[in-house]
Amino acid sequence: MEKKPMKENRVRSPQLRSLNSTIICPPSGSSARERVHSVDPYGFERLEDFDYESYEELMSEYLAVLTRRSIRWSKLLQGRGRLEKSIKVKRYVRKGVPNEHRGLIWMSASGAQEHLERNPGYYHSLLDTTKQQHDPKLVDSIRTDLNRTFPDNVQFRKTSSPCLQKTLYNVLLAYGHHNPAVGYCQGMNFIAGYLIIITKDEEKSFWLMDTLLSRILPDYYTPAMLGLKMDQEVLGELVRTKAPVVWQAMGQHNVMWTLVVSRWFICLYIDVLPVETVLRIWDCLFYEGSKILFRVALTLIRNQQAEVQQAGSLPDVCDSFKHMTRGPFVEDCHTFMQKIFTEPGSLSMATITKLRETCRARIIAEES
Amino acid sequence: MGSDEAYNFVFKVVLIGESGVGKSNLLSRFTKNEFNHDSRTTIGVEFSTRTIQLKSLIIKAQIWDTAGLERYRAITSAYYRGAVGALLVYDITKHLTYESVERWLKELYDHADPHIVVMLVGNKTDLGSERSVPTEDAKDFAEKNGLLFLETSALESTNVETAFQNVLGEIHRKVSSKEVTRGSISAVSLSSPVPRAAGDPEEKKPCCRNL
Repeated sequence: MEKKPMKENRVRSPQLRSLNSTIICPPSGSSARERVHSVDPYGFERLEDFDYESYEELMSEYLAVLTRRSIRWSKLLQGRGRLEKSIKVKRYVRKGVPNEHRGLIWMSASGAQEHLERNPGYYHSLLDTTKQQHDPKLVDSIRTDLNRTFPDNVQFRKTSSPCLQKTLYNVLLAYGHHNPAVGYCQGMNFIAGYLIIITKDEEKSFWLMDTLLSRILPDYYTPAMLGLKMDQEVLGELVRTKAPVVWQAMGQHNVMWTLVVSRWFICLYIDVLPVETVLRIWDCLFYEGSKILFRVALTLIRNQQAEVQQAGSLPDVCDSFKHMTRGPFVEDCHTFMQKIFTEPGSLSMATITKLRETCRARIIAEES
Repeated sequence: MGSDEAYNFVFKVVLIGESGVGKSNLLSRFTKNEFNHDSRTTIGVEFSTRTIQLKSLIIKAQIWDTAGLERYRAITSAYYRGAVGALLVYDITKHLTYESVERWLKELYDHADPHIVVMLVGNKTDLGSERSVPTEDAKDFAEKNGLLFLETSALESTNVETAFQNVLGEIHRKVSSKEVTRGSISAVSLSSPVPRAAGDPEEKKPCCRNL
């Protein structure tokens, strides 16, 4: 089998190419397997059963989209270091931010840039042991997960240089000190990891993390995880009206939402959906807020209604939720992102806010 | 999808214990005979099944795995529902993971069936030179608390099969003996044929299903 030597080769040369160069200038070869890199543009090794043929086919179309978007974005930005929000920019974001501008757009659209500029030196002071003793319990729980964060990403390997594990450790430790009520929660390691891959900057990753956890998302990661429980219930309520057969199946088999969707919310779709699709979702998450998470969930669920309906048991329901997040439907990120804005129908922030209030009150009442 | 084979019992078993003790690898070693050196942090809840023969019976073991971090217990009440067995795992090289065993036990008894079969499992015996939890200590603790006990290595595949087999065997013993009365463990463990819902495609199979 030729797979083994290829893998070794990957480890020895972990240089990453930008997304565009990977697609525009693929290595020559006679099969898709030879033409497409076995490590993706973000450093993730492709799985053994990765379908190179379909990927290449998909990419040949997506490349045209990316090129067009890239030209439009360059024109829009024209060397500016930030952007003003507008209907036009929102439309642009929904169509995808080119990877070379992602860090900038996320920082700018989410308000993280403003926080960074208003607090010079703050990030580094959080890591300065002369100013603050590191909390040993926090250090220990972060360390437990360092080797377990993207072991399939060449940039996070202990042997790679530079190794992003140290960067990851710093961002998580700084965040834990900055927000002791949250400290460290598993899942944050994956989020910080993505932020580091995209921004390639510790301080920016920290401020994006802060923006996500303090302003964009409800309280998902606090010890009571109330925001997470709330959003799981909110999704349940939305499914009740927008995919009633699924809602019925959940009740029939006694499946609690947390069993099937907790990872979707906690990891913001990392490791749930393909990398490129997750990044497209995050473009909108940073620009439009957490509502986007429900649009994605509803689109996935509605697309698989028939299978959930046919499920004969709780494990079958759980399996059908796993199937939702695989296959061409989610791999074709551009079409998928168009679908999330049409498929679930109207979904106003007012609706979400109201449902959140109701669900939060219900959970608190149940728990007391 | 999962329910194609015939079986006499489905037993739900949960894996609990601190983060990083090897719960996910114990699961994959038992259900797939795989060990992953590069495993990722478990988020949310995962489960896997394996069907085993126990004397003349076919038992479908449904093993549930979840994140070990303390706060995840906030969302895992569903995790314990219907569980008839538990493997409470600690890492023999990390004393702190052993010290929290009592806390986990309390958590388990707060949420699960009082007759749940519990095995204390000291994992990572392949790292014997770094051991910080003496076998005798854990054994004594298990005896005092009425728990089964075994040390395992998911990496070297030591005792993993035995651990699960013993727990499943003990569950079966409890279910079939009169030790457990109705309304308790038997209610969740799917004892012999349960009437099927109308239209169930598996009507003729000699098995029971209850999840």
